[in-house]
Amino acid sequence: MTPPTATAPEPVTAPLIPPSTHRYADVIHRLEAGGSMLPDTPENLMQIIGIYKAYAVPMDFYWRDLLYIAEQVFLDPLPAFKYFPSQEYLDLPNSYAGDQSKLRIWRGGEKAHPELLAFMEKGETGKMSKLLHHLWHDRINMEFAEACMEAMLWHQGMGGRFYDYLASDAYRANADRAIKAYFRGNPLMLGLYRLFPEMFMEQVKKMSYYANLGLFWEVMAPVFFEMSDIYDEGGFKGVPDAMNFLVNGIFAVAGRPIYHHVYIKGECFEIIPKSEGFTWLYEAALPYVEAVFYRTAPFRGTKSYNAQAYQVPADQADFHYGILYADVFPVGSAGIPPTLLMQDMLHFLPPYLVDLYKTHKRGEEDQLIQLGITFQRSMYNVTSAVIQALRCALLYPLDDTDPVHLMANRKFFEAQMDRFLRPEARLPQIQTQDYR
Amino acid sequence: MAGTLLLPLLPATVPSVRVRGIAALFGALQLLVGLLCWQHPPADLQLSWLPKLGLRLDLGLDGLSLPLVLLTALITSLSILSAAADQSRPRLFFSLMLATNLGVVTGLLARNALLFLLAFELVLIPITLLVAVWGGEKRAGAAVRFLLYSAVSGLALLAAVLAFAWFNPAGPLFAFEDLRQAQFSPTAQRWILALLLLSFGLKLPVFPLHGWQPFTYGQAPTPVVMLLAGSVSKLGAYGLLRFGVGFLPDTWAAWSPWIAAAGAISAVYGALNAIVQSDIRRLMAYSSLGHMGLLVLGLSAATPLSLQGAVAQMLAHGIIVALLFACVGLIERKTGTTAIPELSGLMNPLRGLPFTMGMLLLAMMAAAGIPGLAGFPAELLVFEGSWTTFPRATLVSLIASGFTAVYAIRLFNRVGFGRLDNERADWSSTCWSERAPAMALTVLVIAAGLWPTALTGWSETESTGLALRSQPFLRRDGAQPFSLVAVTLPTASELRTS
Repeated sequence: MTPPTATAPEPVTAPLIPPSTHRYADVIHRLEAGGSMLPDTPENLMQIIGIYKAYAVPMDFYWRDLLYIAEQVFLDPLPAFKYFPSQEYLDLPNSYAGDQSKLRIWRGGEKAHPELLAFMEKGETGKMSKLLHHLWHDRINMEFAEACMEAMLWHQGMGGRFYDYLASDAYRANADRAIKAYFRGNPLMLGLYRLFPEMFMEQVKKMSYYANLGLFWEVMAPVFFEMSDIYDEGGFKGVPDAMNFLVNGIFAVAGRPIYHHVYIKGECFEIIPKSEGFTWLYEAALPYVEAVFYRTAPFRGTKSYNAQAYQVPADQADFHYGILYADVFPVGSAGIPPTLLMQDMLHFLPPYLVDLYKTHKRGEEDQLIQLGITFQRSMYNVTSAVIQALRCALLYPLDDTDPVHLMANRKFFEAQMDRFLRPEARLPQIQTQDYR
Repeated sequence: MAGTLLLPLLPATVPSVRVRGIAALFGALQLLVGLLCWQHPPADLQLSWLPKLGLRLDLGLDGLSLPLVLLTALITSLSILSAAADQSRPRLFFSLMLATNLGVVTGLLARNALLFLLAFELVLIPITLLVAVWGGEKRAGAAVRFLLYSAVSGLALLAAVLAFAWFNPAGPLFAFEDLRQAQFSPTAQRWILALLLLSFGLKLPVFPLHGWQPFTYGQAPTPVVMLLAGSVSKLGAYGLLRFGVGFLPDTWAAWSPWIAAAGAISAVYGALNAIVQSDIRRLMAYSSLGHMGLLVLGLSAATPLSLQGAVAQMLAHGIIVALLFACVGLIERKTGTTAIPELSGLMNPLRGLPFTMGMLLLAMMAAAGIPGLAGFPAELLVFEGSWTTFPRATLVSLIASGFTAVYAIRLFNRVGFGRLDNERADWSSTCWSERAPAMALTVLVIAAGLWPTALTGWSETESTGLALRSQPFLRRDGAQPFSLVAVTLPTASELRTS
């Protein structure tokens, strides 16, 4: 007599396509199963959510100040106070979060995050004037945000139509109107504009990228805040949940407009009008990931390219400082832009992450390095979300039963993984918890 | 001696860190007593020991021995504190360290050549054991090499001491005072000085008698090498000064060009070898050899200024080399290696050893003779004092001294800067208790640089006195040496009268 079994055995199904033979086959199979490039471990989940929260607070400042610079400071020849956004921008409700938003998708976001406001008031040192906080560097380092913006501008066409539009006649006409309006009554600057029009045009292009990045981060900040809240409520069960939340977020806002408006003496100049149809996914998110995550700029002093002369190499392998490739270790002590972000995040680490860092390596002494590596892990997760979103948009569902479709997905994933075959890529390192 | 005998009697249950504390306390007590003796100079101790052999327990302090006694006490304490908190076989280890200290201090206090010989030989045993038991992977070879070289050194000294007795027209007398007044024949002086140069040249060491040094410095435990380089090697320099310059001035003066040449060659040879080393310990060993060459140059010139500089160089080099090895010991303890190709990025502020590297940098700067640090006044006095007597040797040594900057920069370029490998950099930072000995030495290096009298003041009277014995043979045309430091030199007639 056959003994009764509690549950029937799962039917064994043969895989529809053979296993990948790629060097990162394990990662590819994980992606095909709906996972992330980052292994699904409780500690990885804790690390990435904790760092998203620490990232979101300075990011809440970055996007507000980027928009302030793009829309209000604009072509100020002496922008000494560009890192001091007006109260109007600090109170600006997020377009995608909070009860006041027209396009509410996420929680919170009525005004700048309370932790950010508290830090801006007291910093690490104590209550003193904004200028002293600024000079003492006891502040949010906007220099990081500007470095990201410059990377997007510098690398030029990283996808979408945005960069090409900056060379169009329509853009130049709009920019010309804004320049003349901004310097109305200033014969010196208008004279200079007449002499060196391209120099001014270049500055306006830069301002357009300020707006682009500001609008991109306006979306990302509440996403990260909400992920932190969900984690605190026990909502995420694993790394794939966190990644899927990002994928859903990307789709939720993929079509939101990217534009550049400038406010001069109360009048709005639409340098890049919303009607141009630039979207958050194609004109901001993808170029941002490509330029900042995969490339960034070379460390100043090591290489020199003239972007205006189109000398910036198109080959991604020429760049080592994107967060997916950067050796955080020397970066953390060399002053390369991610260091400034790491310092910003250090102020807002959730307690559970601080406790984690205390138990590894040098504890509190080298938190900056540890959080930098956590940030690297978290950005691999964000990149996984982008890859999955692209696969979703361009290819086939993961549970598709057609082997041809699955093979197309496989080829897409393998092509993505090929970008991490370079020895500088940190993908192999983040597969283990020992990398800290 | 009390510490040496007491430590092995401590119960085995006493934790290592406590044994280390007790041992360091003995060193500190010795330092305290030395400072008291400086303030209130005691009368010489003269006790008969083995009268038939002429061996007496004659102990005394003067301006040559007192600073070296203080240096030895200080370096003994700090080197003991540099040992790991979990030092294996601590009672024996620290007892042997104190035994080494006993030998050095007895040698410095001795006022009798036979007693000096006994003390000189006493140092050999504990150091050999310390290297053989607690040394690195090749400790056996290093210990044997040290033993052989030291045995030759000891035998040469024994022969020299016996020759002192044999050739002394007044009979077999060993007291320093008797030796100073003895009228040795020129032949006797030559034989004795040759033996002394061999003995003390091996101890310092100086080129070409340095064969034991790189191996022993490379394999000895950090506290031992601190004591060996910082203090024990000074016994050789002290011997040359006391016996060679002091008791055999005629022959010393006659041979001084060759001695100066050996010093200059040592300086160049040590510096050039240091440049090409691939191990920090061996680099330090050759650096030390080079700086011993400067010391020998100062001794060979035997002018008041150069002798004062030589004593200052003994003190400055003692604290600088102890600091260098203390830092190297910390690097080795944390990273597990001193191989230069395996190290990089140690200046990294977050995961490197920035504090230790900072102190190492300062020590290297001091060794290079950067003004404001201990090495500068000592080297300045040596060069200034030797220039008129041996300009060529001084110039060569000056250039060799400049090479210090070359290997210091090379070392820092490779070890301090560059990329710190995250996978390997899995060590903890140094804690304050680990840093304390090196920090104390750092403070001394800076203080001695800012207040050079701390180095030069001790020996002014004695070095001038010793120089007076050699001056008539060395001085040319009665010309006053060029001097940046105000030292009033006696005229030739004053010399003869004195």
